[in-house]
Amino acid sequence: MKTVEEFEALWPGGVNAVPAISPAPRPVDLNGKRIGFLWDYVFRGDEIFPVLERALAEAYDDIEFVGYDAFGSTFAGDEHETLAALPRRLKELEIDAVVSGVGG
Amino acid sequence: MRASAIVEKTGIPTASLVCDGFVGQAAGIAPGLGIAGLPVARIVGHVDGQDLDELQQNLRAVTADAVIGCLTRPVDADSAASGLASDTVVARGSFDDVNAVFYERQWSDGLPIVPPTAGRVAAFLAQTDDDPDRVIGVLKPSGSAATVRNVAINGVMANCLPEHMPVLIAIAEALADPGYGVEHSGDTTGGDALIILSGPVVERLQFNCAEASLRDGYRANTSVGRFLRLFLRNVARCLPGATDKSTFGQTWRVVLAENGAAAQEIGWPSFSADAGFEPDANVVTVGRFTGSTVIGSIYGNDPDTIARYLADGLVRQSGWELVFTVGFSRGLYRPLLVLSPMVAKTLARSGTTKQRLRDLLFEYARLPAGKLESYIGAWSNMVPGNRTLNQLVEAGKAAPHYGESDDPERLVPIVGKPEDILLVLSGDPLRANACAFAGNGMHGFPTGKRIRLPAKWQ
Repeated sequence: MKTVEEFEALWPGGVNAVPAISPAPRPVDLNGKRIGFLWDYVFRGDEIFPVLERALAEAYDDIEFVGYDAFGSTFAGDEHETLAALPRRLKELEIDAVVSGVGG
Repeated sequence: MRASAIVEKTGIPTASLVCDGFVGQAAGIAPGLGIAGLPVARIVGHVDGQDLDELQQNLRAVTADAVIGCLTRPVDADSAASGLASDTVVARGSFDDVNAVFYERQWSDGLPIVPPTAGRVAAFLAQTDDDPDRVIGVLKPSGSAATVRNVAINGVMANCLPEHMPVLIAIAEALADPGYGVEHSGDTTGGDALIILSGPVVERLQFNCAEASLRDGYRANTSVGRFLRLFLRNVARCLPGATDKSTFGQTWRVVLAENGAAAQEIGWPSFSADAGFEPDANVVTVGRFTGSTVIGSIYGNDPDTIARYLADGLVRQSGWELVFTVGFSRGLYRPLLVLSPMVAKTLARSGTTKQRLRDLLFEYARLPAGKLESYIGAWSNMVPGNRTLNQLVEAGKAAPHYGESDDPERLVPIVGKPEDILLVLSGDPLRANACAFAGNGMHGFPTGKRIRLPAKWQ
């Protein structure tokens, strides 16, 4: 009688090497806040951000916006440079919250 | 999402705009970016197919409220790690039992895997002088460590041989190189990785570089090609339907092995020498290519005529990918031309060097400027605003020779310089064919790594 070979197989994955931190705390109200727009320069952000800016301005009387031109493209050839400068630019421009896109 | 992660780490809340089909991908990549949850504001459908009125209505009806929610409500954070280690036994039983578990847990590609037992893995580890726990690098989107040990485990699964181990390690090193861009492995256009192997190791490990060099049927080429895809699946966690958003994709490619002897015979430098390694170095190059076309039955022996035909194949294969030449990542397009040795020998007999061939290809592989502008602008919107090549030159997004006139019919090259065209000799040595591949830019930029053989190479 033949016996069936038995195996003990090892896990093929990798241990997570990036410690995860919690997302930033959220303000309850966007009044009095300055919103920065970040764009990866694809998928119609030039048409999307103006619509969102108008909608947010209608929802909050006291809200300011800083356009994506102030930061540069967050994707492709300019990505590394833009992202490296981002913490400094956010601070310089006194940004309180960010809308970033567009993923698709 | 990469930008959002950086912003969140500065203590500033974000809302990430993501089209419907990519919400799952967004969740899958957050851990690798070091954030235990990135809030997403969904955009209904996909923006590319909507007219402006429809887009605006959808943004007002759905996305705007979602943005407010992302920025004002607490985020559900998930920092749960798997808790597994590379020496954890995750399946016990028969061959079928193990395969059932691995398929269910999304650790296999649907074909049977060789159960990675401790004994088989040890045999692979014996073929390298590396410490099994050496961290080769951290792979996105998972943020997991690629180690010598998990290279071995996936190599076993792919049906590689233990002596392939130094090649597998070099592949993992290429994937982990930031210049390669492994985080883009699940991009929608779905170009697939091609491993190009050059050096004496081709013959030593019995890789096929002759007839049917890009077809399955040879264990070394097939299994090592499969390893790469399994490694992306299991360590980078590039998973179809989740983090892998390729619209179509392809089956993994078998290893393309260079016929180094044929190159040497005609005095052409090897592919590894082209990349800056010494001529006889054993080198693995990994790059992603979106598709290929065969340039068939190359007739005659006039180098100018042959170069024009080869250049035509390169142009036919290059469309939207030209956004990697001009536009959002200037100068990163690397098309690949695989020549059967017979074509190369015919060229060499007329005194054509490899560099001369590149120069001819650069001269002839051109298309009308207006058509290139359509590929990257009107037809794909990859460069928004339908900007002309002249405008891209002014913005520093294209080399100066793309803006020499306003004539849309002027011919412009598909690459920035001759050296951007990759040339490899492989395939049937007794037939005059070639194969042109379109490159995928920084989404899998061709990256070469030296293969380090163990001191006691068996």
